Amino acid sequence: MNAQVEHALEILKTGEPQAVEQAIETLQSAVYAFGMKVCGHPEDAEDTTQETLIRLARSLKDFPNARALAVWLYKVAKSQCLMSRRKSKFAPAQMLSLDELMPDRMEAASPLMKSWAVSPEQLVLREESRARLEQAVLALPKHYRLVLILRDMEQLDTKEVAEVLEISEDTVKMRLHRARVFVRNDLEKGLRGDRKRNA
Amino acid sequence: MPDPRCKRIFAALSEYLDGDLRAKTCKELERHLAGCRPCIAYLDTLKTTIQACRAYRVKKVPKPSSRVRAALLAAIRKG
Repeated sequence: MNAQVEHALEILKTGEPQAVEQAIETLQSAVYAFGMKVCGHPEDAEDTTQETLIRLARSLKDFPNARALAVWLYKVAKSQCLMSRRKSKFAPAQMLSLDELMPDRMEAASPLMKSWAVSPEQLVLREESRARLEQAVLALPKHYRLVLILRDMEQLDTKEVAEVLEISEDTVKMRLHRARVFVRNDLEKGLRGDRKRNA
Repeated sequence: MPDPRCKRIFAALSEYLDGDLRAKTCKELERHLAGCRPCIAYLDTLKTTIQACRAYRVKKVPKPSSRVRAALLAAIRKG
């Protein structure tokens, strides 16, 4: 589970007075960030945050522990995102085929690695590659996008993602691999473009 | 990827990186990787992609809403 979210929910459940304000702020930021990753639009992310946390206020005492509450919170936030007003932002529902995602021929390793001569941290700091990552995630069909965001960005484990999305763990793994390959292939197109421009 | 072994490896890369593969499949995959530079390169770039997703943070987060804050504080007080 996302440790920050779980810890903040734990504080709200115990009502620790000194830590409550900070916990509320953490949760607002976390739900907003999740909304942005899923919807890609600030107003949708704000609506998602408001609705999700207002519902959280009503349900705070209904769950036995912070982890169960966190799973519920992601479920609600996800549903709010999918109901957002700017639905057209979502790519149409479609299946990603592994055969289509696989490169036609194995590329030579050295040019491939030259394009990727960048650390993951640099990749998210550099404006162009960061924007490319955001666009690649938003271009994913929603079922794949949700799995990638929950597993790799929010860092839930496979079982938790399966619980949030109410699908099997095998389906989580299948969608996750395709989503990662899709994003990786899209990032590479961008990195190759950057390399050609800088050559 | 014309080589059917590369195709099988390709399908299992995420589970390999997540440590979810069975020991036998894992060994088979590592044997293939030891002799296939393009598959190693693909694996490395997939790993970079996953790490980039983990390192990604949304930049601009708006100020907390007072309505939400009030609702949560009331819920906590109510117990």
